[in-house]
Amino acid sequence: MLLQLEGVIAGYGSGSDILRGVDLSLDSGAFTCLIGPNGAGKSTLLRTISGLLRPRQGRILFRGRDIGGRRPDLLFRDGIAHVPQGRSSFAQMTVWENVLMGAYSLADQRQVDQGLTQAAELFPIIREQRHKAAGLLSGGEQKQVEIARAMVRQPTLLLLDEPTLGLEPRAARVVVEKMRMLNQLGTTLLLVEQNARMGLSAAKWGCIMELGTIKLQGMGDQLLNDPQVKRLYLGQAAESA
Amino acid sequence: MSPGLLAQSLVLGILTGGMYALMAAGLTLIFGVMKVINVAHAAIIVMGAYLSLTLFRHLGIDPLLSVLLLIPVFLALGALIQWSVVNRLAERDITLTVLMTFGFAIILEGLQGAIWTSSYQGIKTGYSLESFQLFTLYIPVVRLISAGISLLLLAGLYALLTFTKLGRAIRATIQNRTAAQLVGVDVRLVTTVSFAIGIAIAGAAGPLLGMLFTFYPATHWLWIGKLLAIVVLGGLGSLRGAFVAAMLLGIAEQVTSVTLALGWAPMIFYVFLFGVLVVRPQGLFGAVERQSL
Repeated sequence: MLLQLEGVIAGYGSGSDILRGVDLSLDSGAFTCLIGPNGAGKSTLLRTISGLLRPRQGRILFRGRDIGGRRPDLLFRDGIAHVPQGRSSFAQMTVWENVLMGAYSLADQRQVDQGLTQAAELFPIIREQRHKAAGLLSGGEQKQVEIARAMVRQPTLLLLDEPTLGLEPRAARVVVEKMRMLNQLGTTLLLVEQNARMGLSAAKWGCIMELGTIKLQGMGDQLLNDPQVKRLYLGQAAESA
Repeated sequence: MSPGLLAQSLVLGILTGGMYALMAAGLTLIFGVMKVINVAHAAIIVMGAYLSLTLFRHLGIDPLLSVLLLIPVFLALGALIQWSVVNRLAERDITLTVLMTFGFAIILEGLQGAIWTSSYQGIKTGYSLESFQLFTLYIPVVRLISAGISLLLLAGLYALLTFTKLGRAIRATIQNRTAAQLVGVDVRLVTTVSFAIGIAIAGAAGPLLGMLFTFYPATHWLWIGKLLAIVVLGGLGSLRGAFVAAMLLGIAEQVTSVTLALGWAPMIFYVFLFGVLVVRPQGLFGAVERQSL
């Protein structure tokens, strides 16, 4: 088991619990998609796994080690990369500087070069647009830069929070294609997706979150065909898409 | 105004502006990284001036040499202040830090009064009053040297931020703190180092201030207003903006003091500041604050 969450409870500041006892396991090589309504706690769950938020209760085991409360920069070095929702590039830095930041924690120059080469193979855009300020790229291009930046250190687990949000369909398809490719190359993916249909068809496994817990999980295509899931989640998603 | 007089005041303005830029650089860097307005910034500069004065009077160390000596001292001091007080407060409530740095300014002022008394001081070296003629321009040596040193230090800071790994991490932390953490940057360490660098630049500006202007413990109140205006005009957190704004202030002061009277200079500058902020609330080079996570 690569990642295991047991009864994780978390929330912001002195506010109420957002996660109300999450149990979740990810096998190495998994591609899991989290869907659910706004406010279900999907982003909060990713933030708790990547260390941006400290769990109030419960355990988070990464490769068998309890990582609850560990700093996000250290977790990134451990192999957990998180591409947050919205734009998170360093807007005034060039594309190449952005990607270089992904190698910040690598001391060995050979590893840096290797990581950069690999990232550039997966995301040719980071070479093509290397001198451009990241903030000037289109949404889809920026998302690719952000994912490339997260991949330089070749993480074991990649957390993606709504990477296709706000992208035009063609750009969204490119991002989905990149996710499939990364997964095939061995990266374990945990994806949060508002567009349930797109997420469940891209991922192998799906989890439905509601009110801070995992309500239902199953194979992606099974959930897609489940009548109740269809009515509650996909119908809504189809309307908003 | 005659072209000669205009050229003269432009040159003096640029030379003074260079030093203003150095004084404001640390302030804007600290704001950029921490979102903390260091109200004590000018008090720290004045502290640098006093230390340089003492080194000069008692040990005969030239103020230009003390610029170099004070950098490591203030670097360590900055790291200590950040780590011991500012960081703890900033994590709890960022608004408290304004009050804290305000208090720190008062403490420094009191300390300076106790040690050096409240009388007017100036660092007068053998070359303090020297000047030379360049074509029709009259160039005071001290102003030229202080502008040169300021530009050198600013160039060093610029190179550090632009070409080094630490510099990239500082810029990344300024632009998106969360994203920086998520790519393995220990933002607390970067913050401490940035704060220390900001304080070190302030300390280094002290001897230059002491050579060009008279100072006394309460002078920092006159300076902090100017420095904050420079930083706001340039765009909070923007080094390039602070540089341009400092030059504008330097030139505006010289030109108005020649054409109108010295007393008009601050007003002209603040009117300009007001005008810019109406059109560009983020300042000349400031980025529009992005909604973070």
